Amino acid sequence: MSFFAILRSIYEGFGITAAVATLGLLFAIPFAVIAGVLQHFATGPLRWIVTAVIEFWRSSSVIVLLYAFYYTLPAFGIFLSGITVGAMVLGFNIGGYGSQSVRAALQSLNKGQREAGLALGLSRFDVLRLIELPQAITAMFPTFINQAIQLIKGTTLVSLIALTDMTFRAKQISELGYNPVGIYSALALSYLILCYPVTIFGRHVERRFATRKAR
Amino acid sequence: MNFNFSFAIEIVPRVLEGIGNTVMIAIISFIGAAALGLFWELLRRSHATVRPVVQFVIDAIRSTPALVQIYFLFFVLPYYGVTLPALLVGSFGLSFYYSGYMSEVFKAGIDAVPAGQSEAAQSLGLSWADMIRFVILPQMLRNVAAPLGAYSISILKSTPLLAVISVPELLGSALDVASDTYRYAEPMFDVGVLFLAMSLVAVAGITQLERRLGLTAPSH
Repeated sequence: MSFFAILRSIYEGFGITAAVATLGLLFAIPFAVIAGVLQHFATGPLRWIVTAVIEFWRSSSVIVLLYAFYYTLPAFGIFLSGITVGAMVLGFNIGGYGSQSVRAALQSLNKGQREAGLALGLSRFDVLRLIELPQAITAMFPTFINQAIQLIKGTTLVSLIALTDMTFRAKQISELGYNPVGIYSALALSYLILCYPVTIFGRHVERRFATRKAR
Repeated sequence: MNFNFSFAIEIVPRVLEGIGNTVMIAIISFIGAAALGLFWELLRRSHATVRPVVQFVIDAIRSTPALVQIYFLFFVLPYYGVTLPALLVGSFGLSFYYSGYMSEVFKAGIDAVPAGQSEAAQSLGLSWADMIRFVILPQMLRNVAAPLGAYSISILKSTPLLAVISVPELLGSALDVASDTYRYAEPMFDVGVLFLAMSLVAVAGITQLERRLGLTAPSH
């Protein structure tokens, strides 16, 4: 099998990789925003609960969570597809990290922003929605890109719960004939093609944000 | 519902058999990643001509998944006649993956040492190696301690990746129990709880250590 044929064969798994990454973001972003905002505002028992949920998702090992949810949920009578479990676990894990960026960004905003909003007669919710969140989300954009890369790379793990993503395809091809160098170079190259542009873009954005902050 | 809590508790000792390997992998990988990361960073700074090459290597390491790097080492090394224990190959894989991140930690740590320090060292006639060893490194270590602590926890949480190349660490021994007993739910539940507990203990320990050393995480 030629190197190009291997690449094309691995590409057959791209659909699953892309689906898990996209669905993962759909879990991660709302979770990060809601959990981050709640942790910022909540007090007392509600704050403990929110913190516990966030810590559960970000302090656990993703691969272990993936196995645990995939195999343990059915024993509790919850049946979810592999894609759903994969996207949910990866998404909530990255979302847990993201929530800390949201909270940190909200905390670092100048108090005058909130006071000015309230003085203009906006409700507390409108101040959050129209003034605080837009600034916080802009400030965390570089972190968001880095976390998106982590999520894309994390999708390799779904090959372990038998989803036919790019990594799983590589394992399948490796059963057809002994060519580890070709197959695993092609696999690494596939992810490099996917993530390298995002890495460079992230670095670029980070630099632009750094100079803007310095000004 | 067929989740059996008493079975989940009964198999804990068997799952725990892997904990020694988990800790060993985490320690080897952390040391390897820090050493290689520092090497990348010093290489990146050494000459203007090698800088873009090293930068590409670091970005490439950060743009490929850890699992893929571990598979690569595990399957490609034997092809070239290098056969090492899976535990060692896996630890090298994790070291390699995290070295990309460590290099950025060292970069930030060195950048935070004021430029006057290296200028003073040069004007005193110190060689490049002596300047790094006696002037830059000691000051840099304080800057990198907190982020290195954070990565040590990430590495601990990545050790179960080695189960895929059949290293008998915690997840590996849980999978063994699962295939012996045909029950997956309980061993996977156990290993999930164990890892959550280990990582929370590690976070608490590192926070204590940072407080004792008077370190705070850099603000970026």
